[in-house]
Amino acid sequence: MSEPVISVSELTRRFDSKTALDSVSLSMPHGAVYGLVGANGAGKTTLIKHILGLLRAQSGSVRVFGLDPVADPVGVLSRIGYLSEENDLPGWMRVDELIRYSRAFYPAWDDAYAEELRQSFALEPAAKIKNLSKGQKARAGMLIALSYRPDLLVLDEPSSGLDPIVRRDILGAIIRTIAHEGRTVLFSSHLLEEVEQVADHVTMIDRGKIVLSAPLEDIRESHRVDGRVPSLDEIFVARVGMSAVAPSEE
Amino acid sequence: MVLATIKIVVLARGLPIYLDSPESFGFVVMVPVTATFTYLLAVFSFGLDGDLGARRSMYPPRLFTRPLTTGELAGLPMLYGTAAMFVLWLVTRLLALWPTGSQVPSLWPALMLASLLAWTQALMWMPYPLPGLRIIVAVLWLGTIDTIAILALHFNARESLMLGILAPQIPLAYLVARFAVARARRGDVPDWRGTLARLTQVADVASQRRQDFRNPARAQAWFEWRRHGRSLPVWVAVLLPFELVLLWVAGDSTSLVFTILLAVLLTPPFVATFAAASVSKSNPSASDSYGVTPFIATRPLTNAELVAAKLKMAVWSTVAAWVLVLIAIALALELSGTSAVVVERWHRFSAVVGDPRAVVLLLLILWGCIASTWTQLVQSLYIGLTGRAALINGSVVLVLGFFVLFGPFAEWIVETRRLGEIWSALPLVFAVLVALKMIAAVWIGVRLYDRRLLSDRALVTGAACWSVAVLALYGLLVWLLDTPHIPHYLLMLLAILSIPLARLSAAPLALAWNRHR
Repeated sequence: MSEPVISVSELTRRFDSKTALDSVSLSMPHGAVYGLVGANGAGKTTLIKHILGLLRAQSGSVRVFGLDPVADPVGVLSRIGYLSEENDLPGWMRVDELIRYSRAFYPAWDDAYAEELRQSFALEPAAKIKNLSKGQKARAGMLIALSYRPDLLVLDEPSSGLDPIVRRDILGAIIRTIAHEGRTVLFSSHLLEEVEQVADHVTMIDRGKIVLSAPLEDIRESHRVDGRVPSLDEIFVARVGMSAVAPSEE
Repeated sequence: MVLATIKIVVLARGLPIYLDSPESFGFVVMVPVTATFTYLLAVFSFGLDGDLGARRSMYPPRLFTRPLTTGELAGLPMLYGTAAMFVLWLVTRLLALWPTGSQVPSLWPALMLASLLAWTQALMWMPYPLPGLRIIVAVLWLGTIDTIAILALHFNARESLMLGILAPQIPLAYLVARFAVARARRGDVPDWRGTLARLTQVADVASQRRQDFRNPARAQAWFEWRRHGRSLPVWVAVLLPFELVLLWVAGDSTSLVFTILLAVLLTPPFVATFAAASVSKSNPSASDSYGVTPFIATRPLTNAELVAAKLKMAVWSTVAAWVLVLIAIALALELSGTSAVVVERWHRFSAVVGDPRAVVLLLLILWGCIASTWTQLVQSLYIGLTGRAALINGSVVLVLGFFVLFGPFAEWIVETRRLGEIWSALPLVFAVLVALKMIAAVWIGVRLYDRRLLSDRALVTGAACWSVAVLALYGLLVWLLDTPHIPHYLLMLLAILSIPLARLSAAPLALAWNRHR
């Protein structure tokens, strides 16, 4: 069996008195679309920041491609495409400058693919990032995250910047494409319907703890009630409701 | 406030504090007033939020939705700004000038400050047809007002005449500001870029030529240059005309010409001190402006490479600023007819010390100014890159405290004739500072090695380069200052202290602490 793309073991993170992550363990295999779901403030972004090496593990360990992302940021980050929830692309750059700048970091940058994405996202090369709409900024972020066909694509709440049509069509298509090419996607969202459409594997996180982590089909099957398969929304509410009164099962 | 307190508490009533040298006057009065004036200028013209080089108005669009008329939108910040300038001058008179017993005009300086602010507001809020035009227009117009006032002063104009010149400025500026805000409010930004199509095509060709960055380090250095590198040369370019125009007033006065030249030479390092505050920020507009933004933090670069890009940007920024300074000095000396004064002094100086020493000394002074500009830009990175607001703000308070206390302390040394004691204690002070520097450098070197933030090769190369630079500077100082009054070990200590080491080496550590929290 090949080494997991992401391996998180007993990761705990506290911010002052608040426990953001509590003994989180996670293993992500190659080629899956991995949905990380949870309410706002559940710990999704904190977990992603550990995976990117933006937060140092206080206890436990994080390995991405078998490497420590804090000790070897270049080894890890050169293989990750990341779309930030904060959408913090430099506003002073033009779209073509953003592309020119980004391509310098990734030897595998695919110019033809980048141009194809730019056209499909309707991004003007001369447009300044700060003048783009929120959705366009997310598209620009997506473009630079995808154009070098990264081994791991990390999308942190991407839907906050995309309109429904983009969410359904473009995002779904891109995620599927990457998954079919053997690449891996980690996709965090609090919009469960969206995750249900694209994820192979779902991890639910609540108040810093993983309350459920399994392939989507298994989750659906295990929650079947009287022959009816409940939606992920219903499962999440049931799980998170349970976790409030009982310890995590994971 | 310090002076006023001394006046009230310590000294007998009515006994003035003498500020007879320009240096003391500058430290006690001009530096705080100028710093406060500059800050108020930025605040009331909304210059802290906007893009100076952009075509659109710098007036914050969020304010356009307020239930206020355009006249009120333009007038209220102008009114508050004018009031603030009058208060600034009043406070300066009361707290700084009154204890010294200096004879200063009562009203027109306040009006001058208010006029400059009002015009700055009008020019900042105006939408422009071309990028960068705002800077050119502002420099020319504000420079003109400043020159008129300086000429009036030079010819000992009466206060009433000064008031006559300055009083109409504020209503005029208000009318321009109102027009500017009205245009900005309806989103009207003129565009002349189409008429410059040929130039644009040339720019496009140039852009095509520099299409690819050869490596990530170059791309990051370009990023840093675009983000932070231009502020130093731009600010130096803004200040230079105000300083060099004084050469036309200086005439044949050698001391005045050299004082002006000294002020010009000190401008880049002085401005770099302020520009440095933004260099360590990865995104000043982000909510957590001190932290590293995810966009930068996720660049596949090591912490050392990210710091190296900033250092490289600082080199370009320094070079650009100094090219401007040197060209401007040469032009101003030639056009003002004061070059003869400088040449005559140069010949006298080289006759005394000899041509080679004179040339080397001149180059050393120039190099010292240039190196100090670069150092000012980068030496606070080790604080700024930590991303910890408490540390950064604490260091700012310390630096300001140093500047506030330095003037009175220097004055005290001179007045109490303790220069001899200070000179005798200098070797000990230098030795302690060198010991502290070396201990810090070793501690930082060990941390860099342990955390693999720098490779073994980079550490050894860095240490070797630093040693060579120290030895070269030491050799130069020994050759230049060949006198029995200055022992050679003192020059060695001076050389060690002059070449940056510890604080610069700490920058990757600070960034790692910030980037991987």
